[in-house]
Amino acid sequence: MKFGDTTVIDGLSFDVKRGETFGLLGSNGSGKTTTIRALLGIYKVSGGQLHINRRAYRVDSGIRLGYLPEERGLYKKETVIDIMTYFGRLKGMEATRAREESMSYLRRVQLNDKATTRLDKLSGGQQQKVQLGITILNDPELLILDEPTKGFDPVNRRLLMNIIEEHQQKGATVVFVTHQMEEVERLCDRIILLKNGKAVAYGTVSEVRKQHDDNNLDDIFVKLYGDENNE
Amino acid sequence: MNNMHNLSTVIQFEITRTLKKKSFWIMALLFPLMLAGIFGIIFFSNKATADAAKEMEKQKFSIIYMDEANKINPGMASALGATRVTDKQAGIDNVQSGTVDSFFYYPDSLNTSQIEVYGKEVGIFDNGRYGGVAKVLLEQSAASTVDANTRAVLQKTVSYNTTIYKEGQVYDGFKQLIAPGVFLVLFYILIAMFSNQMLTSTTEEKENRVIEMILTTIEAKTLIVGKIISLMMLSIIQMLLILLPSILGYILFHDKLSLPIIDLSSIPLDPSRIFIGFLIFALSYSLFTGLLVMIGAATPTAKEAGSFFGVIMMLIFGPLYAAPLFISAPHSPLVQFLSYFPLTAPIPLLLRNAVGNLTTIEAWISIAILAVTAAGVIKVAVQVFRYGALEYSRRLSLKEIFGAK
Repeated sequence: MKFGDTTVIDGLSFDVKRGETFGLLGSNGSGKTTTIRALLGIYKVSGGQLHINRRAYRVDSGIRLGYLPEERGLYKKETVIDIMTYFGRLKGMEATRAREESMSYLRRVQLNDKATTRLDKLSGGQQQKVQLGITILNDPELLILDEPTKGFDPVNRRLLMNIIEEHQQKGATVVFVTHQMEEVERLCDRIILLKNGKAVAYGTVSEVRKQHDDNNLDDIFVKLYGDENNE
Repeated sequence: MNNMHNLSTVIQFEITRTLKKKSFWIMALLFPLMLAGIFGIIFFSNKATADAAKEMEKQKFSIIYMDEANKINPGMASALGATRVTDKQAGIDNVQSGTVDSFFYYPDSLNTSQIEVYGKEVGIFDNGRYGGVAKVLLEQSAASTVDANTRAVLQKTVSYNTTIYKEGQVYDGFKQLIAPGVFLVLFYILIAMFSNQMLTSTTEEKENRVIEMILTTIEAKTLIVGKIISLMMLSIIQMLLILLPSILGYILFHDKLSLPIIDLSSIPLDPSRIFIGFLIFALSYSLFTGLLVMIGAATPTAKEAGSFFGVIMMLIFGPLYAAPLFISAPHSPLVQFLSYFPLTAPIPLLLRNAVGNLTTIEAWISIAILAVTAAGVIKVAVQVFRYGALEYSRRLSLKEIFGAK
């Protein structure tokens, strides 16, 4: 994949197994978000495709996908419940069920009294909770979370981690884009490390450690990307 | 099936949230309220003028006049209480000193000289009464010297009744243009009222950064088509909000406002021209909705999209300046160009269809051009939205838009 004449993803290929939590790691500008956007068809690619269950992915292919993008935002002038119901319906739910599940989530995160409040009247943290609620509406079988903890306060970070763990237990596949190594160690089964759009390490967390004669992912990260900071 | 579900969801969401906005209702009701205001002003102005005229009739003022042309009927002058004098300067002096209220001087030659009117100041509006009386006195005096028919001609009260035949049938050109002309009026009003909303309908997704969640949930085409359909449905709601109060106001107040009585049954309905008018209207509306949505999708913010607004409005409404040509010279190269070029075509086509000089061949060729262009523009709008979605801070170039496959 190219932006103008610059190649940003080059010959990248990886598998994510059903039910596993997969970490897509790399420093800023390594191509993590671009990879996800290209896979999901948000960016136009010069070649390559995302296959889910051996079928080429399309937005209307019926996969229950929950995507939390790095760039976050929702309709600001609509009420919380209207936005959640709208996305629920777009994800294939009936209006009543979308509304009920939205209310159930809002009760869980103690925002049920804000259901009929306009989104822009909520605090930043409350808006994050709403966005997270939309991501997990319709019980996704594939969760793609791009820098999910970015900008989250500690309360919401804990909520997010609990939600990821719940979906892991339910058998959902989780793709996790981050450069927070402690989250990776805690949650991921397998990982891929990107540098300049290419894979520099790929496998289970322990395999990657062995490949780099090191026990600590933080050290591996510094070893792989430290030269970028010196440039 | 899934796409249909999503399309109806988008349409429902877009319509509901617009109907919930106070600004929509303010704009929607502003037009009928403005109409009511204008008619109210006309009504009260008519009433005030009539009252003032009655009041003036009651007012008496003293008149002296000098008639060198010998055209004033002494009996009529006497009925007004006017006295004839023979010295012009004395007459002027009498008004100046306040001895009399007014002096009218009718010169020997009415063809080459002016009638002079002198009066005592009674207020900026009421000062006009002297000239009015001098005129009426002369006209009625002149009319009293001729027979009734000549008087009618001179006073321009003769009426004419013209009957035109077309293909052996009585033809009323003005009434013929009412039904197909409705589409021209609707197009004008709806574009004027909704174009800004069309322009900003997709910038919101970009400005709010909601675009990535949308594009991974539904197809861009479904969102854009849903937005275009919802804008059209909102236009219909807007149209009803304009028409219903206007019709109701007409039924209730047309007597008081001295509006002409419209006999709807006398309006001719030419199904072919109405159908063509409808097609041109619908396709033109789709074309410009698509175009404005596309510009909104290609620009990072509503503010920046607004800078293109003037260009689009100039293309749509610019041809109005050539409107007389559309009626008098429909086959001139300029009119033909404006009629076939899709971005300028709506006004010429709708106007020419209304006045009846758009031939069937011309109509169908231009309808085909509009349909292809509208479909192409909507397709490009989807493309632009799809691939320009994440351009939060810069405008897409034409190369990028048309290079995207």
